[in-house]
Amino acid sequence: MKPTPPARRSRLVAVILSTIIPGLGQGWLGEWPRALGVFLATVTALGATLWYGKPGWLVIPAALWVWNVFDCLRLPRGAPLWLATLLWLGMAYGIGWQATEINPRAFIENSERARSVFRPMLEPDFFRLRTEVRQGWVEVEVPCSSAPPRAEHTVEAVTVRVSPDCASLNEALIVTVEGLWPNEPTQVFWSTPIGDIKLVGGQYNAMLLVTSDEAGKITALVRVPPSAQDAMPDPTLPLKHRVYVEQERKIGGIEISRNGGYILQGIYETLALALLTTTLGAVLALPLSFPAARNLMSGHAVTFFIYLVIRTILNILRSIEALIMAIIFVVIVGLGPFAGMLALTVHTVAALAKLYSEVVEGIDPGPIEAVRATGATWLQVVRFAVIPQIVPLFTALTIYRWDINVRMSTIIGFVGGGGIGYFLWQWLVLNDYRAVSSCFIAIAVVVLTLDTFSARVRERLG
Amino acid sequence: MLPLSSHPAHPPGECPLLQVQNLTKVYPSGTVALKDVSFDVDDREFLVVIGLSGSGKSTLLRCINRLIEPTSGRVLWDGQDITAAAPAELRSIRRQIGMVFQQFNLVRRSSVLTNVLSGRLGYANPWLSLIGLWPPTERERAMRALERVGIADKVNERADALSGGQQQRVGVARALMQEPRLLLADEPIASLDPVLAHSILQYLEQLNKKDGITVICSLHFLDLVHRYATRVIGLKDGIKVFEGLPQEIDRKRFKEVYGEEAQEVRAASLEAA
Ligand SMILES: Nc1ncnc2c1ncn2[C@@H]1O[C@H](COP(=O)(O)OP(=O)(O)OP(=O)(O)O)[C@@H](O)[C@H]1O
Ligand SMILES: [Mg+2]
Repeated sequence: MKPTPPARRSRLVAVILSTIIPGLGQGWLGEWPRALGVFLATVTALGATLWYGKPGWLVIPAALWVWNVFDCLRLPRGAPLWLATLLWLGMAYGIGWQATEINPRAFIENSERARSVFRPMLEPDFFRLRTEVRQGWVEVEVPCSSAPPRAEHTVEAVTVRVSPDCASLNEALIVTVEGLWPNEPTQVFWSTPIGDIKLVGGQYNAMLLVTSDEAGKITALVRVPPSAQDAMPDPTLPLKHRVYVEQERKIGGIEISRNGGYILQGIYETLALALLTTTLGAVLALPLSFPAARNLMSGHAVTFFIYLVIRTILNILRSIEALIMAIIFVVIVGLGPFAGMLALTVHTVAALAKLYSEVVEGIDPGPIEAVRATGATWLQVVRFAVIPQIVPLFTALTIYRWDINVRMSTIIGFVGGGGIGYFLWQWLVLNDYRAVSSCFIAIAVVVLTLDTFSARVRERLG
Repeated sequence: MLPLSSHPAHPPGECPLLQVQNLTKVYPSGTVALKDVSFDVDDREFLVVIGLSGSGKSTLLRCINRLIEPTSGRVLWDGQDITAAAPAELRSIRRQIGMVFQQFNLVRRSSVLTNVLSGRLGYANPWLSLIGLWPPTERERAMRALERVGIADKVNERADALSGGQQQRVGVARALMQEPRLLLADEPIASLDPVLAHSILQYLEQLNKKDGITVICSLHFLDLVHRYATRVIGLKDGIKVFEGLPQEIDRKRFKEVYGEEAQEVRAASLEAA
């Protein structure tokens, strides 16, 4: 005897049940998997809409509710499943879109800012044309004391003379310079006792440029900048300001700019950091890889337990992003490259130990057997049958890891881990997008080079 | 059981090279791979072990040099009990017993030379061998062994760059380095095509006839048994079901070994080769 066929049960009761709780009617009619599906779909749709506070999207759970009643009515054929699926996916997608605040308009609305970021990026600051500089200066008293010293000074060939020997704000001075390169533009500017550079061209807003004559002489009228005494505690106290003259001319060829030098330094630090962490990580991973190899440890319950423990720890460590680990280490050991090094090393140990142990698991027992059969000792078996099988792969994996570590240490530099990432971070904060783009280029070049190199080596070893 | 009339008699007082006595192997999984197997092997014999897949051939060969520890029974080498030998003793017995494998068992990433030299480890200075230093005399010996099997020109290739037949010849050369008195060959030709199979077996035959090396070889093909064996042992489910001369093994006996349902495995192409 069969139990009461669900079909005999009242359709009306089922519909009422489904109207109260979605899926209940279907369940009452015996369609339990369907009931569960309908219930979960409606509840998750309703929950997501309420949680993210998007009342407009309540349309969808409502539609699903209606669909559910309709479905109950039409059982056993039911309402079209694709409709419910589409509704649910529409909800998930729509709310997901809003929750992640996807806003393509932001690109267009901020085009001005986008331009100010991208334009300088087109002129990366890495090289500059080689130049030489000829410079001279003289000290001038502002304001005048009772007996101002003579304002004349010679640096190498360049003699600068100012008359009168002292002045107050806005007063005119005659600057004469001898010994400059002939027929070259010469910059003239003011420097306060605390080293602030003041422009003296135009309305004190432009560099004063004077071209030297055949004999390498200039004569210029300079007014003491009105802001020359800003931030001076006592403006009546005579202090020594300076008038600078400077010529710069190209001598052909290019050289590395100042930021270019920093980038080289950063790249070197990053490569070294990555190398150090990789080596350290590999050394620590090596002894861990054997107890983490299933084929070596599955023989006995105790060894298998050790295997499970080590594998679990390694998996957990590996799943923590190195950057997050770096932040944790920053809290422990303080800001600086050491925190980054620790984080990368821990991550490297976990990753390499797993990869190494997979190599050990994949070892071919045949050669071991063959070498044992020749009467070799245990050490000889390891040397002639085990090491040749694992060393090339270990090496390949280690180089691959170095490759990864170079990329990771770039990011870790962001949290004060040193290296190129640290410079990049500073330039981003300073809005120096020319330096930022040279950084990008340098990182890309290094990563691509390493990538090719490690792929080559791995190909040869693999 | 079969009549033992075919069993070669040896002069009284002189013991056979190898005696296998009541050998039994039970794997931890409970599989009984060998059950009370006994036989003797005389100097210069070419003994072939036949049997279906899973009948215990590999287990038997590996119990002889104790790559697998037998559960019970004894194996006597020149009257000395291998099964009771201490590690150092065992190693010095092993180096007199060369072994060739179905899957060649070469270190694929190492050079042919290194693979062949590894056959000499039982004789080598343990410390020098560990840093990979071999005296020139051993290198010459390796070259001679490779010349013997006709692949001296491959000496610096990586082992996995060689074809199957060439790899097995490296395997034979490696065994030759041991200057063995006994050669164990576990289905040495099962991974090779018939023509290559013959050439490998001819090397073994040459070693047997010219150099006087005793050979124990497991084989699948009956034709080959007739052609190369001086004596045959048949295994079925770990039990010795046949022992005798190759000519005694006809269709009927063959069915005993391979089971009623089995078709005779013929490799007609071999006859042509
Ligand atoms: N390491 C092992 N652990 C458990 N059982 C094993 C092991 N090796 C072999 N056996 C079992 O022992 C039996 C004999 O195996 P063996 O490899 O000796 O047979 P064989 O005659 O060499 O077969 P084949 O022709 O397939 O090589 C088989 O049933 C096999 O499943
Ligand atoms: Mg076998």
